[in-house]
Amino acid sequence: MSDGLSRRSFIKLAATASAAAAIPGCEPAARKLIPYVVPDENLIPGVPTFYATTCAECSAGCGVVARVMEGRVIKLEGNPADPISQGAICARGQSALQGLYNPDRLAKPHTRGSDGRLTPIEWDDAAKLLNDKLAAAAKAGKDRVALVGAPQGPTLDKVTQAWAQAYNSSRVIFWEAFSDEPARAAAEACFGRRDLPIYRLDQAETIISFGADFVETWDSPVEYARQFAQFRAPKTRAGSLSIGHAAYVGPRLNATAAKCDEWVAANPGSEGAVAMAVLNVVVTQGWVAQAAGVDVAALKTLVAAYDPEKISAQTGVPAATITKIAGWFGQATDGAVALAGGPDPQAHLAAFILNAVTGNLGKTMVFLDNAPAQATSRPADVRAVIDAMRDGQVDVLVIAGGNPAYSMPPGDAFKNAANRVGFVVWAGEVPDESAELASLWLPTHHALESWRDSNPRAGVYGLGQPVMQPVFPSRPLHDILIESAHLGAGTAGQAIAYENAADAVSTGWQELQGKIGASATPKQFWDDARRHGGVFQAAKENTVKLAPAVFAQKSPAPGAAAPLTLWAFPHIFLYDGRGANKPWLQEIPDPITQIVWDSWAEVHPETAKQLGLVKDYEGTRLFAGINMIEIATPGGPIELTVTISPLVKPGVIAVPYGQGHTSYGRYARGIGVNPFAFMPEGTRSIAVDARKLDKTHKLVTPLGKSDMMGRTIIEAMSLDDLAKGVEPDFGEEKMDQPYEMYPPFVYAGHKWGMTIDVNSCTGCSACIAACYAENNVQVVGKANVDLGRIMSWIRVERYIRDPEEIKEGPPVYIAPVLCQQCDHAPCEPVCPVFASSHTSEGLNAQIYNRCIGTRFCENNCPYKVRRFNWYAPEFIEPLNFQLNPDVTVRGAGVMEKCTFCIQRITTAEIDARTEDRKLVDGEIIPACAQACPARAISFGDINDPNSAMMKRRDDNQGRTYTMLPEFNALPAVTYLRDVYQEKGKA
Amino acid sequence: MAAAVEPSNIQLSYLDVDRTAQRVMAPAGLKYWMWVAFCAFLAALGGAFWTRQIYEGLGVTGYGQPTLWAVYITNFVFWVGIAHSGTLISAVLLLFRTRWRTAVYRCAETMTIFAVVTAGLFPIVHLGRPWFFYWLCPYPNERFLQPDFRSPLTWDFFAISTYLTTSALFLSVGLIPDIANMRDISIGWRKKFYTVLSCGWQGTDRQWRNFSMAYLLLAGFATPLVLSVHSVVSWDFATMQTPGMHSTIFAPYFVAGAIFSGCALVLTLIIPMRKLLQLEDLVTIWHLDNLAKVVLFTSIVITYSYATEFFVVWYTQDPIEMMTFHERLFGLQGYMFGIMILCNCLIPLFLFSPRIRSSTVWLFVISIFVNIGMWSERFVLISGSLSTNTMPSQWKFYVPALTEVLITIGSFGWFLMNFSVFAKFLPIVSMTELKDGIEWLRKSGGERYPYRKAS
Repeated sequence: MSDGLSRRSFIKLAATASAAAAIPGCEPAARKLIPYVVPDENLIPGVPTFYATTCAECSAGCGVVARVMEGRVIKLEGNPADPISQGAICARGQSALQGLYNPDRLAKPHTRGSDGRLTPIEWDDAAKLLNDKLAAAAKAGKDRVALVGAPQGPTLDKVTQAWAQAYNSSRVIFWEAFSDEPARAAAEACFGRRDLPIYRLDQAETIISFGADFVETWDSPVEYARQFAQFRAPKTRAGSLSIGHAAYVGPRLNATAAKCDEWVAANPGSEGAVAMAVLNVVVTQGWVAQAAGVDVAALKTLVAAYDPEKISAQTGVPAATITKIAGWFGQATDGAVALAGGPDPQAHLAAFILNAVTGNLGKTMVFLDNAPAQATSRPADVRAVIDAMRDGQVDVLVIAGGNPAYSMPPGDAFKNAANRVGFVVWAGEVPDESAELASLWLPTHHALESWRDSNPRAGVYGLGQPVMQPVFPSRPLHDILIESAHLGAGTAGQAIAYENAADAVSTGWQELQGKIGASATPKQFWDDARRHGGVFQAAKENTVKLAPAVFAQKSPAPGAAAPLTLWAFPHIFLYDGRGANKPWLQEIPDPITQIVWDSWAEVHPETAKQLGLVKDYEGTRLFAGINMIEIATPGGPIELTVTISPLVKPGVIAVPYGQGHTSYGRYARGIGVNPFAFMPEGTRSIAVDARKLDKTHKLVTPLGKSDMMGRTIIEAMSLDDLAKGVEPDFGEEKMDQPYEMYPPFVYAGHKWGMTIDVNSCTGCSACIAACYAENNVQVVGKANVDLGRIMSWIRVERYIRDPEEIKEGPPVYIAPVLCQQCDHAPCEPVCPVFASSHTSEGLNAQIYNRCIGTRFCENNCPYKVRRFNWYAPEFIEPLNFQLNPDVTVRGAGVMEKCTFCIQRITTAEIDARTEDRKLVDGEIIPACAQACPARAISFGDINDPNSAMMKRRDDNQGRTYTMLPEFNALPAVTYLRDVYQEKGKA
Repeated sequence: MAAAVEPSNIQLSYLDVDRTAQRVMAPAGLKYWMWVAFCAFLAALGGAFWTRQIYEGLGVTGYGQPTLWAVYITNFVFWVGIAHSGTLISAVLLLFRTRWRTAVYRCAETMTIFAVVTAGLFPIVHLGRPWFFYWLCPYPNERFLQPDFRSPLTWDFFAISTYLTTSALFLSVGLIPDIANMRDISIGWRKKFYTVLSCGWQGTDRQWRNFSMAYLLLAGFATPLVLSVHSVVSWDFATMQTPGMHSTIFAPYFVAGAIFSGCALVLTLIIPMRKLLQLEDLVTIWHLDNLAKVVLFTSIVITYSYATEFFVVWYTQDPIEMMTFHERLFGLQGYMFGIMILCNCLIPLFLFSPRIRSSTVWLFVISIFVNIGMWSERFVLISGSLSTNTMPSQWKFYVPALTEVLITIGSFGWFLMNFSVFAKFLPIVSMTELKDGIEWLRKSGGERYPYRKAS
C-alpha cells in the first residue's frame, strides 16, 4: 500500500466501518479514529460481513449482497431474498466493484480555469462556487438551472427534483441511452397505461423475441436468463418430452439468438415488420383467442399490409420462416410470449398485441398494481431542456451521471447545447466526456458508498445502503444537492425537508411503510429492510384489456432495405458505454465474437467479399479481424476493423455500442468507435457506404479456432434422442472401462464435483467476472491477450458452424470450461516438484509457493485450463482494495488455476468442524456457480448421491457427458448436453 | 604446411603431431582475441536479456498460451542433441576400435562438454522462477520435500547431470597425457597451470596401464548414455498427451536426430578450425568423409522416423492426432516443417556423392543446413504440437520475441567462446591418440586417403 493509508490505520478505519453500518450517514462520527481497547465482537479479521444492498449498474435493480472484509467490499453476490436476482448476478453487476475502486475516480473537486486547465479545490470552496452560481441563476429568473443525470431511484430522484425547485426550476432530465420509452409508449397505445408488464418466460411454451436480447442487456437479464433456462429445460408436456420453442428476430446472432431454436435474420429496423407479419399469420390462421375478445376484423386491417410473402423482401425474412415461428406462437397450448427490444415502436406494439390477442396477457405477460413510474424523462422533455440550453435559457447545468455528452444522440447536439450554458457542473465518479464540458467537477460517492433505493417493479422495493467507508474523499451527490437546496430555498424557491440523502431515504421508507401497509414498527421495518436489502412483496396482478383504438393505428409497411446498413447494438458488458472503464468488462470476451478491448464491425462473408475482404485467417486464427474499413455515415466517416462472421445478416455492419470514449479513465479512453456519435435519434441503424482501407488494426481474441473439429467438447442432442434415450454418436472412440495404471484414489470424505448444463448456459460470462473477483485473477490488457496470456480460470468456449452447412443442431455451441479436476489428472505426474497435486477431496490443487514454473502441467492438460503468470500481477491502487484476502495473489513465474474456490470449501469445512456437524449440501458454492443467472452450474459432493449436483446428473442421465473422454482423465465435471428440437437420428 | 591431400602428409612423424598441436596453442594474436571478444559480447547480450527476463518475468518473451514450451526448450533439445555426437565419436567409436575418430574426437568431446553446459542453462532460462531450479534436485531439507520421480523433468535433471559428469571426466582423463606433454615444454604460468592439470603424469608404465583402463571403463560407462540421455529428453515430450508428441518412436528418433545434428556441428566447427589452425595434416578429408557418412546415415534414419510418425498417425486414424499432423504440414507454421524436411531429409542426400563428401565447402554448407533443419525439427515438434492442441479454442501460434532470439544467439556466443578458449589453452587434437594411430595410418595410408586425387 502506498502513502496515505497504512495497514494499521486501515484496520482502525475498518473498525469505524462497522460504526458506519450502525449509524449511517453520520460522517463526523465515522471520521474519528479510535483504537480498539475492547475489540468489536462482531468484527473478526478474516471473517466477512455481508450487507444487503441493490445493484445500480443497470435499471434491472437486482438485489445484491456485498461481502465486506476488514472494512472493504471484496465481492458482490446476488441477494437470494430478492425476487429478481434470486441470488445470481451478472458480469456487469460483479464489476460494480471496479467502478468503486476505479483508479481514475476523481479524488477532489476541481475547477476549470479560463485556459481550460483543472485545479483541485477544497470541498467548501467547491460548494460555495456551486451555490453562488446557482443563486445567481435563480435570481436571474425561472428555469435558469438544469440538471441532466441518470435515474437514481425513486426517492433520490424526488430529491433531485426538489433541489431544482429550490432554485425555481423544473428542468430536470433523467437520462438513459437505452430507455424503456418505446415500450411504455406502446403500452400506452395498447393498454392505455404507461407502466410495463413483467414477463414469465418460464411459463411459456414459445418465446419470440423481436430484437430483445433478454439474456444479455434487455430489461432484466439476470431474471430472464433464469426464466429462460427453466423454459428451455426438457419437460413433459401433453405426454411427450419437449422443450420450449424460441426464436430471435434480429440482424445479428447474439447470445440470445444462439440459445433459440431459430435465428430469424431480419434486416435492421424491420423487427417490427416481422412482428406484424407474425401477427398477420396468427390472425389469418385463426389463432386469436376467443377469450381475448378482440375485434378480429379491425385487427385484420391493422396487419393487412404485412403478408409474410409481401414483406419478405423488405425484412429479408422468408415467408416460410415467419409462418413457422407464428405457428409455434399461435399453436402453443401452454402459453407463449413475444418480447420486443430496441427503439422500433412498431415492434413493441406488435409484441403487446400478439401477447394480448393470443390470450397470454395475464399469463406470460402480466401487468401489476402499483407498478413504478417511468424513471427516465420522456424524449420531448429531454428535447425541451436541450433546446433551452442551446438557446441560452440555462445559466447553470448540472450533469450528474448518464454521460449525455457521450450517449445522447444526435451527434454533438448535447455538447453544443452545453457549451451555450454559462456554468456547467459535473458530478460523478470517473470524469467522462460530459465532464470535459464542465467547469466544476464534484466527486460523488459510488452507489456502494451511498444510500439509495430502487423500485424496479411493483412489490420490489430495494434499499441500497453504503457497504463501506468511501474510498475517496467524495460526497454523496444528493448530500450536495440537499445542502445546496437549503441555501437556495432562502433565495428563490421551495424548501427541502431532508437533512441529507440518508435522511431522505429513511424518510422515504417511512412513507413507503405507510403506503404498502407493513405492520412492523418503523424501526423494525427499517432494520428488516436493511437486513434483507429491501422489502419484497407479491404484487397484485392487474387485469387489462387491449384498447380497441390500437387497431385503428396506421401502420405502413417498411420501405426497402438499404444495400448496406450500419446497425449498432448494446455491448453485453459495456452496455451504453458505462462499463468501458472497468477492466474486467473490457477483458472478458464478448460471448459471440470473443473479441476483447475493442469495437468491431461484424460483417457476413458475402458482404465482406463485396467490400473486397476475405477471411484468410480462419485456418489458424490468431486474431478476430485485421482489415479496416471506412464507413461513410451522415455524421462523418468512421474507421473500424472488420470481423467476418456468418452470424450476421448479409448487408449489415454490426457495431457494438460502448467503446469510443475520449475520456472516462485509462481503461476506456482511445478504444474503438462510439456509435452514438453518428446515430440519429430513435434508431439503431442507418444506411451507409463502406470501402476497404489499406490500414490494419488487430482485433484481439483469446479464441483460437471456432471449429470444434468433431471433438467432444460441447455436445448437443436432439429432443427425440433424449426422449428415446439414444446416446448421440459423434464418431468418437468409446471407452469401455477406465484404464487404471495406478491404484485409484480413495476419497473417504468428500469428492467435489460439478455438473454444468450446457442447455442452460447462455454465455453471459457472469461466471468469469465472479471468478476474477473471487480469485484475484489479474487483468492483462489487450497486448497480452493477443499473446495468449489471458488469465481467467474459467472461459466461455464458443464454437460456430456455418449456418448453411448445418443439417441439425444449433449453429453456435457455448459452454463454460474450467478446470475439470480430473482423477487421472495429466497435470499432476508431470510436475517435478509436486506443485500440482491431488487433494484428498479430489481437487487438482496447485501449490503456488512450490511452483517453479516449468509449465509442463499446462502442456499436458487436454483442457488447457491452467494459466501462467507471465508478469507479476499489477493491481493499481485502489483496485487492490478489492483483492480477496482469502486467496493468494500469485507472483510472476507460477502457474495458477481453478480449484473450485478451495478457500470457500475450506472455510465451510472449518466452520462445520468447529460447530461439530456435517457439511450440508449447498453450503459450499463456488463463485461461478453462485453468480450464474441461468443456474447452469451445480456444485456438490460426488460421494453424496443425494446432493443436488448428483441429483441433477441422475435426473438428466441421457444428457451427461464428459469433455474429451478419450484422454481417460476422469473429470469431476460432468456436462449435460444442449438439447435442440430437430428430429435427430432416432 | 601443404594441403592434406598431398602424399607427403602420409609420412606424418611423431614430432609433427606434437608440433602441430603446440603451434595451435601458441600465444594468441589479436584476431583470436577479437573473435573471443565477439563471442563473449554475444553471450553477454544474451545474459543481459536473461537478466531482464528474470527481473520482469517471462512476459518479455513471445510466450503465451498454449505454447508454454517454445524456443528455450527447442534450444535445450538442440544443444543436448549436439552433445551426443561427441560421446558417440569418443566413446562408442573407441569401443568399436574405429581409427578415424582419433583426429576429431577431442574436438567432438570438447563440443559435448560445452554443448551440455549450454543445454543445461536452457531449462533454467525457461523456468518461471529460475532461482528455485535446485528444487529439481533431491537434497535433504527440513521440509522433507523431494522431487516427483514420476515427472520426466526429474528424469531429465538426472540424465543431464549424469551426462555432464561422465563427459567431463572422460574428457579430462583423456587430456592428462597431452597436458603433461604441454607441461614439459611450457614456461611461466602455463607451466604451473598444466602442472596442476596433468595430475603428476610421468608417463610411467603403471600410469599408462591405469590410464588405458580408466579410459576404457569411462568409455564403457559413457556409451549407454548416448542412448539414454536423449531418450530421456525425448520422454519429456513423449509422455505428454499432447497430440504430435505422444508417440513411442520418440526415443530412437531423438537419438538418431541427436547424432545427426551432433556430427553436423562437428563438421561445422572442425572445417573452419582445421583451416584456421592449419590442422589439415591431422584432420584430413578422410576424417571428414567419415563424419559425412554418419550424417548421411542418420539423416536417412530420421527421414524414416518422420515417415513412421505420419504412418502411425494415419494408421490409428485418431482425429485429434490427424488434425495436428495436418496442421504441421499445412498450418500457419507449415513452412517450418518444409525447412525441416528440406534440411534434414533432402539436402543431406547430396552426401551420397563422394565428390561432395570430399569438398570442405560443400560439407560446411550442408552441415549448416542440417543444424538449421534440426533446430526447426525441435521447434515444429514442441511449439507446433502445442499450438495445435486438443482444444481448438486454445489454438494459437507462437512467434519469438527479441528476448528469445538474443538469448538463443547468446547461447551460440557462449558456446563458441568456451570452445575457442579451450582450443587455445588445451590440446584440441589428441596427440596421444594420433601418435597411437600413426603407424596404422602410415601402413594403410594410401587407402585411407581415397580422394586425394581430387586435387
